[in-house]
Amino acid sequence: MSPGPAAALLAAAGVAALLADRIWGVAAIALVLLVVCLRAPAQRRSVYLYGAISTGIGVLVLSPFLWSSPDGTVLWQGPTIPVVGPLDVTTTELAEAALNALRLTALALAFSAYALLLDHDRLVAAAGFARRSALAVALATRLVPSLERDAAGLAEAVRGRGVELHGARGYATLLSPLVAGSLERASSLAEAMEARGFGAGLPTRAPRPPWARADRLALAAVPVIVLGAALWL
Amino acid sequence: MALAELHEVEFAYPGAERTLGPVSLALEPGEIVALLGPSGSGKSTLLRAFSGLVPHFHGGRFAGRAVVAGLDTRTSRPASLAGTVASVFQDPEDQVVMTIVANEVAFGLENLGTPPAEIWPRVERALADVDALHLWGRKTVELSGGELQRVCLASALALEPQLLLLDEPTSQLDPDAATLFLAAVARLGATVVLSEQRAGRVLELATRVLFVEHGRVLLDAPTAEARGWLAAHRPRWTDASVDSTQTSTRPGATVLRLRGVSHRYLPAVPLLDGVELELRRGEIVALEGPNGSGKTTLARISAGLLAPQAGTIERVGRAGYLSQDPGRYVVRETALAEVALAVGGHERRSQAALEAFGLGHAANRHPRDLSSGERERLGVAAVAVAEPDLLVLDEPTRGLDPDRKAELAAWLRAYADAGRAVLLVTHDRDLPADRRIGLCVESTQAPLGVPVAV
Repeated sequence: MSPGPAAALLAAAGVAALLADRIWGVAAIALVLLVVCLRAPAQRRSVYLYGAISTGIGVLVLSPFLWSSPDGTVLWQGPTIPVVGPLDVTTTELAEAALNALRLTALALAFSAYALLLDHDRLVAAAGFARRSALAVALATRLVPSLERDAAGLAEAVRGRGVELHGARGYATLLSPLVAGSLERASSLAEAMEARGFGAGLPTRAPRPPWARADRLALAAVPVIVLGAALWL
Repeated sequence: MALAELHEVEFAYPGAERTLGPVSLALEPGEIVALLGPSGSGKSTLLRAFSGLVPHFHGGRFAGRAVVAGLDTRTSRPASLAGTVASVFQDPEDQVVMTIVANEVAFGLENLGTPPAEIWPRVERALADVDALHLWGRKTVELSGGELQRVCLASALALEPQLLLLDEPTSQLDPDAATLFLAAVARLGATVVLSEQRAGRVLELATRVLFVEHGRVLLDAPTAEARGWLAAHRPRWTDASVDSTQTSTRPGATVLRLRGVSHRYLPAVPLLDGVELELRRGEIVALEGPNGSGKTTLARISAGLLAPQAGTIERVGRAGYLSQDPGRYVVRETALAEVALAVGGHERRSQAALEAFGLGHAANRHPRDLSSGERERLGVAAVAVAEPDLLVLDEPTRGLDPDRKAELAAWLRAYADAGRAVLLVTHDRDLPADRRIGLCVESTQAPLGVPVAV
């Protein structure tokens, strides 16, 4: 499938997850997106899946304490905290937390599938206008695996000297060099792009294969998915 | 008529002293020029003066005049010179823009407004020229350093430039791949300026040699004449100047023993299969093999940074590991603090380690402000300062000039002779080794990961 319709399908799945109100509907969307993500190489997908699932779990755990509902059965009652209010967990809060967690997970999985599986170059090429902005988005997407690789390299460089990193504070010390490294990389990339004629004049585009029937069907399915989620899920 | 000329060109980066010049020289069409000189001598800056990146991209103070194909680089931006001049920089990872290899090679052609019908045939030719046609649809993020370097060269070749500027383009290639790469360069017919630290192969190819030191051209001569000059004045830049045949006289107790070690990243593709390896105190062992043969994986397993999927490891004492391209992985604000990390902040030991690697003057400088060769040496100092029983270095000569390489070779020998063991991943035969172990790739006849006599 061409990346344009594929990106539209993923966006539709993300919007559908936000619009759907039934938990099984959102769970089904998240499950489908998870299966799609599993098509990516194991080494690359792990960081995305970890990010998506841990975000969902974070919402599931925290939101019952941060959002209060008088409905439902009280499962646990805690102290009243100033500003936050009474700390309790009810069945309604849990159900809402699970729904929001699944929504967020589905959204993160849609982005993961976009980052892992799509040919961003063709998306840039397909951009009829604002090609530079499309390229910037594609480069930003590629930043995730670059940062991941740099972070692993930094951690290994430290471990290679016999120094162990302990806990969040230990890894936090790598944030500053990680940012410095990515800035250095960005500067080098800009230089390489300039040397390769970026911005020199009116660019052309290499011919790309025309859309197939599946692409047109995928595009037609986009409004159906969004409407279906809004009306029935 | 000259294709490119520099007239009394001088350049200083912002806030720094003069890096280049004054330099005057002319490049004739079809010349292949070897650009030699120590780390930080101004070779990269000279290349950037031809492409206009100096001063347009970097700023700084520029004097004199650089003219390429009739265009003055002071008035023509690098992007507008791109069809005439193409550059391949030192680090391939920092110059890849696109996600898919074929699109990466097509990127420059698209920018220059090449007719669409010509783009894919030119991409195909360029990839074939560097023996990388099989990478066509691969994701750039999944390629090895050597593969990326070939893709970068193909991206430059596809532009069919009149002037090709190559900044240490074979630094991440195994010897066979480097030979292929240089053969592709020789077939081009373009004017090529090729900066290199490993002079041997390049001198075979070059028609002319420039030797740069402290920003000035010390030698500008045809290759035959240059060989004589190098032998007389810079002997380490000629072949066989470093004695790598010294061997340990008394190997001691075992520091590392690997038995039946196997590892794979993809389910159906074993990378290491039943590796047996033993290192004793006083020994230096070099791992060789083509790009992708598992050398780095074996080094990481040996240093205890990666657990193998099968086999046993016995290690005595501490291990230290220096990854490829250590300059990218600096974690502290000064060179001294970078080295001190491994010894709990012990400044005196750290300063001594810096001085042992010729970096005493840089103790208070930010590691990212050092040259690539200096960063490489800083990386070795940062690992070696703790004096691990087993020192594992992955491609430690990248970016090092022959003088610094000779110093590293002598230091390694002394380190091993002091009763420690060294495991090197290197294609560089100038480094000393008591044994050289070759790793094979899947397609060869020899079994995977089994030591092969080299």
